[in-house]
Amino acid sequence: MNKKRDHLEIIHDILNTIRRKAGLVRQTHILYKSNLSHQMLVKYVGELIGKGFMIEKEDKKQKKYYELTDKGHQYLNDYKMIRGFVDSYGLG
Amino acid sequence: MSLTYLSPSWFFGYDVVLELLFAAIALMVSIFAFRIYKATGQKQIRLFGASFACISLAYLIQSLFNYLIISKANEHICRALKIRSIAWFDAVGLYAHILFMTLGLVTLVYMTFKTEKSRILWLLIATSLLGIFLSMNTLYMFFLFSTIYLMFISWHFITNYLQNRQKKTLLIAVAFLFMLFGSVHFLMAVDHRAFYAIGHVLELVAYSLILLNLYLVRKR
Repeated sequence: MNKKRDHLEIIHDILNTIRRKAGLVRQTHILYKSNLSHQMLVKYVGELIGKGFMIEKEDKKQKKYYELTDKGHQYLNDYKMIRGFVDSYGLG
Repeated sequence: MSLTYLSPSWFFGYDVVLELLFAAIALMVSIFAFRIYKATGQKQIRLFGASFACISLAYLIQSLFNYLIISKANEHICRALKIRSIAWFDAVGLYAHILFMTLGLVTLVYMTFKTEKSRILWLLIATSLLGIFLSMNTLYMFFLFSTIYLMFISWHFITNYLQNRQKKTLLIAVAFLFMLFGSVHFLMAVDHRAFYAIGHVLELVAYSLILLNLYLVRKR
């Protein structure tokens, strides 16, 4: 049985979904890939934008899409280290 | 009020170096925790970083004042600053060490509760500091409180290891058990000074394991 994902892991999954698509990711795609309810996704997206991990943009058809910021890329690059530290001290 | 320099004469100097080393390792952990906090924005990590910053400052103060006592520089400082009582000057150092170490340990205990209620933290701080500083034997009470807090902290890290069996979690659980044993020895050092040296050696093992963990975490 899979272990329940924690906050940091969910953030990682959302950001990783955006990185894999190299930007231009719509919320429905993140919803599909991150395996979250719509309500939870809205909460996480708000948090990630607030913390500066990603930004919301609009295309020519005025549809919203999401893009990773440098901080978001940094989070993904450092994730293994962050995970190691958080797990060591049970901070998750 | 009983305030004494507990180190046995043969351990003079070694304690100063070891405390400085503990301060450096605790500072490294604190800086790293704040770096992780900056990347994640998790409040619990910020608390953890703050607790280790307090612990680092506590060791730094302890090391500095122990150095001033054994080098007799405290007498020169008192003369220069026109402070009449050297014992009062030494007590300021000891009180500052107790204050920051208690703040560090209390914050670490609060962090293990994983609660958002800051009133619990303030209650823990207030009861601990009042209990320690209003006691007839400040030092003994400080070691007693530290031991109790380290029991709670060790329990958290042991549980963490049992839930997540990795080398890193084991290192931290064992490190805090050594810290707990060290604190028990400090408790006994009030009557038998040799335990003060043993306590430092046990803390050395604890901080070495914490440093090893930090190395393993940073290694990509």
